[in-house]
Amino acid sequence: MTHKTRGRDTRFIFFPWFFGALFLAGIVHIVSIFAMPWLAPKDAFARMAAAAPAHQLILLPDPTPQSGAPYDDPALVQGVCRYDLSQGRLRLRAMLPPDELLLMSFHGRQGQVYYSMTDRSATRGVLDVLIVTRAQLDLVEANDKEDELPQDLRIIAPTLEGFILLRSLSERPSLREEARQRISSMSCGLDGEGKP
Amino acid sequence: MSAFKTLLATVVGLCLGLYATWYAVEQDVAFGNVRAGPWVGQLRNGTREADPYARAALARHGETPIGLTEGLSFIAREDDAGARLNPSCSYHISGPIPPARYWTISLLSPQGHLLPVPLDRHGFTSAEVLRDARGHMVIEIAASARPGNWLPAPKGRDFVVMLRLYDTALSANAGSVTAATMPRLTRGACA
Repeated sequence: MTHKTRGRDTRFIFFPWFFGALFLAGIVHIVSIFAMPWLAPKDAFARMAAAAPAHQLILLPDPTPQSGAPYDDPALVQGVCRYDLSQGRLRLRAMLPPDELLLMSFHGRQGQVYYSMTDRSATRGVLDVLIVTRAQLDLVEANDKEDELPQDLRIIAPTLEGFILLRSLSERPSLREEARQRISSMSCGLDGEGKP
Repeated sequence: MSAFKTLLATVVGLCLGLYATWYAVEQDVAFGNVRAGPWVGQLRNGTREADPYARAALARHGETPIGLTEGLSFIAREDDAGARLNPSCSYHISGPIPPARYWTISLLSPQGHLLPVPLDRHGFTSAEVLRDARGHMVIEIAASARPGNWLPAPKGRDFVVMLRLYDTALSANAGSVTAATMPRLTRGACA
């Protein structure tokens, strides 16, 4: 046996190092995959934070070959309302024109969708959504009148910060302005502002 | 000698682990993709159940997927025959499109950005596409102008085709997406 030197089998001498490296690689891989949503510098929230101040509905510029988020549908006009629930509840209100496609997705801090709906979810053309934390919801419910059902849709956000994406379909390029109008006619802001 | 081996093993382990992460994120490794013919749908991205790989890739690219109740989004990087989409060939999109309130078909770069194309025509919506007397439609992807639904392809640039179904009944049952219900993507003449 030529592999044997001084009673040790040299064929296996690198095995601990090999498996050690592989084991470390596995840990590094898993940790970095899970850390990515927290570490990625150009994630969706960072993009929205750069494009829009908090608690305001802003129309995002139309994508060009040089700008815009990847894999967005060029037929959609997009608006964003970024929020920070530590400053208060967020309310989204709109009167929706019948049968015009409007998409609404609610994203957490890591960009993940935690709720989504279309204009079909509006009741009699009115959309009233309240984004809250669990504690804020308890407070709101404590103030509800007992004999009345709440008229708004209340959604608990998984993270304090996040954003709502409003997307409206421009059926043909010449209708883009109308699609923009549909989004800018919606209102989004801290709940309780501008009310007596 | 032992310290050197430890260092080497550590460096190799770190590099290997980070490479695996980079590869998984750039190649969009994700579980639960739906395949139907050339179309691939990452349907769970639009839900709370997106897996860690999908979340990592979304964060890295800054993508904002549509929610599952808004619609479904499919990407084709290959044609019906399984060949990579070739920028020097023309392609036809024809056949059935799953029932949806609206659909759009658009051409993007493999990284998901808009392409510099003539007329700024990046896609068609179901509301504007031209249909024949029997209601059938054909979209032609080609670098030079075509009659009918011409979707201009940029000369010499790679592209992918995106199909989105908005407000579709399929949302509730993603398992019902099969190749027979999806449009065909066939290669035409090549330059």
